[in-house]
Amino acid sequence: MRHPTRWIALGIAVVVLLFGIVLATRVGDDPQAEASKSQLLDDPVPEFSVRTSDGTALSSADLHGRVVIVNFWNSWCLPCRDELPALKVFFDRHADDPEFLMLGIVRDDTVKAARAFVRERGIDWTIGFDQESVAALAFGTRGQPETFAVTADGVIVGYQYGPSTVADLERLFARARQGSA
Amino acid sequence: MSARGGLPWVLLAAVVIVAIAWAAWPDDARVSVAARAHDLAAELRCPDCEALSVAESSTPTARAIRRDLKRRIAAGQSDAQIRQAYVDAYDETILLEPEGSGLGVLVWGLPVVVLVLGAGGLAFALRRWKREPRLHATDADEQLVAKTREVDER
Repeated sequence: MRHPTRWIALGIAVVVLLFGIVLATRVGDDPQAEASKSQLLDDPVPEFSVRTSDGTALSSADLHGRVVIVNFWNSWCLPCRDELPALKVFFDRHADDPEFLMLGIVRDDTVKAARAFVRERGIDWTIGFDQESVAALAFGTRGQPETFAVTADGVIVGYQYGPSTVADLERLFARARQGSA
Repeated sequence: MSARGGLPWVLLAAVVIVAIAWAAWPDDARVSVAARAHDLAAELRCPDCEALSVAESSTPTARAIRRDLKRRIAAGQSDAQIRQAYVDAYDETILLEPEGSGLGVLVWGLPVVVLVLGAGGLAFALRRWKREPRLHATDADEQLVAKTREVDER
């Protein structure tokens, strides 16, 4: 080796170049893009327990055997209000299906405000109160609305970040009905 | 390099090793639930805000995570289990510092590799420069200079 210093400099340059390539290609620069993905796709539904409107406990184990659309929402969130008509249309289409459950989990709101909103807007699907945010954190939510599709055998197969349209909800429902791969 | 000349290097290496060991050594004094929760909150990125830790943020999600951390610690979960639960739910971007595996190895390891290679290269170059003899003028050089001066003086 005639010029070892040059070889060392070349080695450093290669390592720095590799580091730059890794940073440029593997580290995302758009926080919204990161937020719009769910880490839980194809995973079992996380363990949680919420109180429903009539005060009974509903846990993740109670979802088994039914296709479930889980929607995180609250009364003060404007995108949730925008989404409400689509949720109603979708729920009315499938309300009679005994193997379907639509669960709206209240995220970051008071029970009183959420109950009043449910009454005023005539929301008929199951509402879960998550006062300690256990469900919201277990699902890895970053805000609301966020919607998850769960198969009858308890696997999350679909996710929608932000307000869903009726078409989005139908797509999630169809994916959940197909079951986990 | 003489034994006396190498002493500063040995001392420097000793200082670096002691500093790294001091920084990496776990602090047994921090054992309370609140202190552990705060330390973990400082390691987690607030999911609904940018560039803030859960400890620094006052968003509802950050407050919920701080409560959840205390709950998990009280339930007997280890720091590693708690970190893993959040990585499982949110992915590795929830951690403000990269983990020591996968991509995290590159983030931690490459600067060290660059540092070692750079230090090695510098030490090698310095030794080589020191070894090289200073240039001396040959008789032919001196004759050439004398001739040139003679020409200039005329």
